[in-house]
Amino acid sequence: MNIRNARPDDLMNMQHCNLLCLPENYQMKYYFYHGLSWPQLSYVAEDVKGKIVGYVLAKMEEDPEDSVPHGHITSLAVKRSHRRLGLAQKLMDQASRAMVECFGAKYVSLHVRKSNRAALHLYKNTLKFDIYEIEPKYYADGEDAYAMRRDLSEFIEKFGQLSLKTSGKGDSGSS
Amino acid sequence: MPTSNPLPPKENALFKRILKCYEQKQYKNGLKFSKQILSNPKFCEHGETLAMKGLILNNLGRKEEAYDYVRRGLRNDLKSHVCWHVYGLLQRSDRKYDEAIKCYRNALKWDKDNLQILRDLSLLQIQMRDLEGYRETRYQLLVLRPSQRASWIGYAMSYHLLKDHDMSLKILEEFRKTQQVKPFDYEHNEMLLYQNSVMVEAGMYEEALKHLEEYDEQIVDRLALSEAKGQVFLKLERLEEAANIYYGLLERSPENWAYYRGLEEALKLEKSDERLKIYKEAEEKYPKAHAPKVLPLNFLSGEVFKAFADKFMRESLHKGMPPLFVCMRTLYSDPEKVKILEELALGYVESLKEHELFHKDDTGEKESPTSLLWTYFYLAQHFDYLHQTQKALDYINTALEHTVTLIELFMVKARIYKHAGNVQEAWRCLDEAQSLDTADRYVNSKCAKYMLRADMVKEAEDMCSKFTREGVSAMENLNEMQCMWFQIECALSYQRVGKYGDALKKCIEIDRHFTEIIEDQFDFHTYCMRKMTLRAYVQLLRLEDVLRNHKFYFKAARVAIEIYLSLHDHPYTGSEEAQQKENENLSPSELKKLRNKQRKKAKQEAVRRERQKQEEQRKEQNKAKNPDAELDGPKEEELVPEKLVKLDPSQSVCRSVIFTERKPLLVLQAIKRGNNVDPNHPLFHQCAVKFLKSVQEDQKLSGTVSEVLKQSISALYGDRDAIILNNEFLKKNSKSLPHSFSGAKMMYFLDPSTKDKAITLATTLSDLEGISLENVQNVYESLKNGEFGLCEKQLASYRPQCQKLFPYATVFQTSKADTPVTNHVDASAVTVLANGEPEHVS
Repeated sequence: MNIRNARPDDLMNMQHCNLLCLPENYQMKYYFYHGLSWPQLSYVAEDVKGKIVGYVLAKMEEDPEDSVPHGHITSLAVKRSHRRLGLAQKLMDQASRAMVECFGAKYVSLHVRKSNRAALHLYKNTLKFDIYEIEPKYYADGEDAYAMRRDLSEFIEKFGQLSLKTSGKGDSGSS
Repeated sequence: MPTSNPLPPKENALFKRILKCYEQKQYKNGLKFSKQILSNPKFCEHGETLAMKGLILNNLGRKEEAYDYVRRGLRNDLKSHVCWHVYGLLQRSDRKYDEAIKCYRNALKWDKDNLQILRDLSLLQIQMRDLEGYRETRYQLLVLRPSQRASWIGYAMSYHLLKDHDMSLKILEEFRKTQQVKPFDYEHNEMLLYQNSVMVEAGMYEEALKHLEEYDEQIVDRLALSEAKGQVFLKLERLEEAANIYYGLLERSPENWAYYRGLEEALKLEKSDERLKIYKEAEEKYPKAHAPKVLPLNFLSGEVFKAFADKFMRESLHKGMPPLFVCMRTLYSDPEKVKILEELALGYVESLKEHELFHKDDTGEKESPTSLLWTYFYLAQHFDYLHQTQKALDYINTALEHTVTLIELFMVKARIYKHAGNVQEAWRCLDEAQSLDTADRYVNSKCAKYMLRADMVKEAEDMCSKFTREGVSAMENLNEMQCMWFQIECALSYQRVGKYGDALKKCIEIDRHFTEIIEDQFDFHTYCMRKMTLRAYVQLLRLEDVLRNHKFYFKAARVAIEIYLSLHDHPYTGSEEAQQKENENLSPSELKKLRNKQRKKAKQEAVRRERQKQEEQRKEQNKAKNPDAELDGPKEEELVPEKLVKLDPSQSVCRSVIFTERKPLLVLQAIKRGNNVDPNHPLFHQCAVKFLKSVQEDQKLSGTVSEVLKQSISALYGDRDAIILNNEFLKKNSKSLPHSFSGAKMMYFLDPSTKDKAITLATTLSDLEGISLENVQNVYESLKNGEFGLCEKQLASYRPQCQKLFPYATVFQTSKADTPVTNHVDASAVTVLANGEPEHVS
């Protein structure tokens, strides 16, 4: 499957994919809000016909409580018919790198239903997230959420603004 | 202030407090202060106060009073910009944007430099895509507030949207020079990338490249930077540099297909072995990447293809990768590749069964039994794709014997039944799948979809309700969430069972989503200027311009049009068919209740339909006035058939104009368009024939109209009449079932005495292309519906022929006994598999 940065004209098809796969749904305007505030952060996986088979919808936390800039995964889905291709991880890695490069994110956070063992397993074991805390009654139906985080130091070292800056200096020095 | 009625200081202070209350949404206080002014007999007709009171009432939802007050205020003070502005705001809140623009313009007459009004006006202008007007307003805003960032950006963007790139770039560059750049300045980075995208759009590649290099350090979006550079290098034919960029991009993301394309172009690779080399390199470098293993399958052929496919399939089957077939499906347009893939997979089955290896000569560890399971799974999908239902079922059943609880197997089995024409069995399989994992919404959604295909709307809704919000009906929640796939499937189902009112209701719900999504852009006009995400913003505007091209809209519009046509052809009598279908299983008392209910419903539907019809007529009229309506940007509620004509010249769409409007010139336009798209389309052909015939026979046409028609028809068809046209069509397409059917229908239509010949033509089932279930079902149903007159004898001999071709399709079955036997432990399947080469069924 082709993985690329999401464009505004993908957002409707992401909504469609979301409605097929996940219980948490949003109106189009919320997708627009993501795509037009942080266009670098959302990614899609599409098949040969251009059908969206997976996506990650991501944002930066606005006014973070801990005043540490960090990203947030609003929604991540891969159609069941396209599982085991490693799409979720590849989507997440692209989004995380963009968070670091463009917005200086230090970590990325997300919420997952306490009862959703499959998702918990994916985030914990495959995507290297840790449970940070439990948010009681986070979901509309009263269910608790695990607030999870993934530290992005590894990305920061490799692609962060600091490394960009030094390489930039090197360039201008030689010219 | 040019108001004709200034207030004395005390009242003026109160009035200012009203304005403040309005801004701070303290509506009750606002009303209190306005009362204090208006209760004074000297000021009880004070225009601006009345207007503000109206505005506040509007925000409290008291719309009627609001209009009364605002209009009264305006009448009392026609020279007040406040009154006009307020009236504009009121119209805007009702989405009457054209009216609102007029009001703002009037307001500006009395206060031409009012920033707030200018800003509001510019928002409406961009929303309505009045680009010239937008540019003028942005100019005034720039002159008034040259120090504001948004003033410059808005003005530059107005030129960009008008495609005056030079001017746009000049303004952006002036603006850039004034910028103080902070380190890691995201917004400045966005501005630069926007500026660069305008250069690229203008074809100024040299400048664009220089720009990217010069400001490299200020650009934090490294991905966009590299992608832009790669593109520009290619355009400038600086291929070596382009190749380097694409190598770098692959490093970043080896799953992005565009980078391989870019690299191929940069390296000028044409021969397949040269192309293969870069994929092999990538595979070595990025062992986890999927793309280099799959993409070459598209361009390789023969033995090389076979070896490559063999390697990839074994790896995938060994790992147990369910989407293997999904990855290979695009290759199935090439019969040679299909043959190779089939040989490979059948070979695996043989060898796995005997030696537990993919190939008997393989060395190394034995394969686990799941490798065989996934191979069966692949073959089931393979044969399903080739419409070999029996074999597909055999393989999926064998797989199910192996593992009874694998959801994927049931999903594929359901699809096989769906393709074979048995929607009942299909939804049952999916029901079983979803019962195995009730927490997975994807399986749940598919199950609901298949239920809808089987016209079980209630059951489908119940299924969906497991994932919708509690306390609201699933229908309502799905509508609120803009869940259009569900609404479209509902509409299609209602259409099938003749519940036209319900079907149209769903279509209109979908239309409203599109109106809402167009409305959604409003807030982003200001928001994106602030956030500087200008590239994304321009893409949003361009998306919204063509939003109704989306397939969801197309499908909904198609259903609506078909229903309107069918209602025109067979005026409504109270959905007899639907009644009959439902009544079969009801007790007499239930039946009575149902009848009462239906009578009531029929009345409501009639009213609704009347309204919709008027709506439709209004639209048709608008269209007549303005045939290029789609150039004018987004409009409210429009199920426009023209767009459909462009995309799919189907009979229904053209006919809508022909027979509902009786406006031959409009029809002519549609025919011309269809002719440009695909004159040989079987449905379009029917429109053309009917049109020709109706023009030939119509005596009542006026002189000029008939003259225009004659000229255009002779330009299109020379001196051929409908019969000749049809004969030529039949001759030209004698090997295609849908074309023969279409021609046969027209043959009978033009000359009923050709009935027998026409039926023979339509019911031929040998030596033709396009003998698909869908096409054959169309013929069968048209015979059944009397489109060829009475033909019971022919129908009686046609049905068993169809049944033989499509043994699983319920539409051709007369009783349960007709259903072929398939159970999970299918002895024949096992022997077939054991003996290797299974027999071909179809």
